[in-house]
Amino acid sequence: MATKTIDYYGVLNVGRSATEDQIKAAYRKLARKFHPDLNPGDKAAEERFKELQEAYDVLSDKEKRKLYDQYGENWRGVQQGGGAPPGWEGFRARGEGAPTGGFDFGGFDFRDFRSGAGGAGGFDIFEELFGRAGGGARGGRARRSRRGQDIEAELELSLEEAHRGGRRTLQMQTAEICQTCQGAGATVGNQICQTCRGAGQTLKPKTIEVNIPAGVRDGSTVRLAGQGGAGVEGAQAGDLYLHVRLRPDPVFNVRGDDLEVEIRLAPWEAVLGAKIEVPTLEGRVEMTIPAGARSDQRLRLRGQGLNKQRGGRGDVYVRLKVVTPREVNGEERRLYEELRRVSRFNPRAGSRRTKGAAR
Amino acid sequence: MIKPAFIRVVDCELDEPLTVEMVADAVGARPLLLERLIRRGLLDTINEESGVPLLPARSIIRLRRMRRLRRDLGVNFAGASIILDLVERIDQLNRELAGMRHRFED
Repeated sequence: MATKTIDYYGVLNVGRSATEDQIKAAYRKLARKFHPDLNPGDKAAEERFKELQEAYDVLSDKEKRKLYDQYGENWRGVQQGGGAPPGWEGFRARGEGAPTGGFDFGGFDFRDFRSGAGGAGGFDIFEELFGRAGGGARGGRARRSRRGQDIEAELELSLEEAHRGGRRTLQMQTAEICQTCQGAGATVGNQICQTCRGAGQTLKPKTIEVNIPAGVRDGSTVRLAGQGGAGVEGAQAGDLYLHVRLRPDPVFNVRGDDLEVEIRLAPWEAVLGAKIEVPTLEGRVEMTIPAGARSDQRLRLRGQGLNKQRGGRGDVYVRLKVVTPREVNGEERRLYEELRRVSRFNPRAGSRRTKGAAR
Repeated sequence: MIKPAFIRVVDCELDEPLTVEMVADAVGARPLLLERLIRRGLLDTINEESGVPLLPARSIIRLRRMRRLRRDLGVNFAGASIILDLVERIDQLNRELAGMRHRFED
């Protein structure tokens, strides 16, 4: 939970005398803007939303709001009957580069503040929305609802990493019940617990290793079963979902399993044909450009593309682009002039009004 | 006190067909609710010969998102479904835009 103090009224942009309805409306309005599901990958929005949730959690609860109004930022420390610990631990993924570098691992956790509240055991959002209407089902259902929280996080990969896969180290923060105050947030004399500053939880770093399967794609998701939040009382842990994002590659454009690379040709190379080096994932290879090549023509290097998850590989397409020299020296100029004199080539002959080459 | 734990990618096949019960179990919902969502066309099913509707594993993610949107924004499942489709489209467009910008800057 929050370790810094924030002005809850300010966060929701309401006055201190706002009614419950006004607070709810303000929360909804801002949540619409900053909800992480509506802003995938936007860490600033995610942070804002966490603040919003916390502010709303406090201000929408009569008791908590009263305490907050009365004691301000220290309200947690004076909470009555603080014996009930937050019944469970959560997870927090932090947007910090892993030691292996090249990694961005930021996520959001949806352990919601509301569920941590309440009396012994608290209640669970699952039950609130889906569960027992009349306090019925128990056993399997009750246990299921104590399953740890799922976490979603984003994983940025280079093209290379997505292609080859491999093991990566990720660091994340896990929230645990504060050992000093046992989750109460306050010590015996109703002083705010110094260890967790009233949050009842402390953050601990956790390192996990992940096997990235070869052939993941931008937008694909890797599920790590059991790597989410821990379950309560030995219940099943939640899952960790890593949403893969590909960093734009300076050389290749990704089109499904295929890669596209642009290669520039001098006019004479295009006309006469040439042997040139083109980049592939495995390094440069020599490629024969046939005589009479045109701009936007695509040449295929079969099986040099990305690994597919079910085996096999895509292709590399080399897109040709004929470029002309900006400056020419005397001799070159003479040759071009000579060319102008002898050439019968008319690029505008028979051209329709459409521009450029069609695909 | 960092304790490295080795974990394996247990399942990265999001198209894997699961029964309604399995999906319900994974998200902690009742199968009845899922069946209702399927009938209303809010969850894409994989149709098998048997005629029993199956759900791709990615429905788990979708359901969780729908539930969060419902909880935090007060939209119903139909609304959440549309929102998620639109967000996905925006995301796709953003990526294409980023790719094009990237090339353009060279």
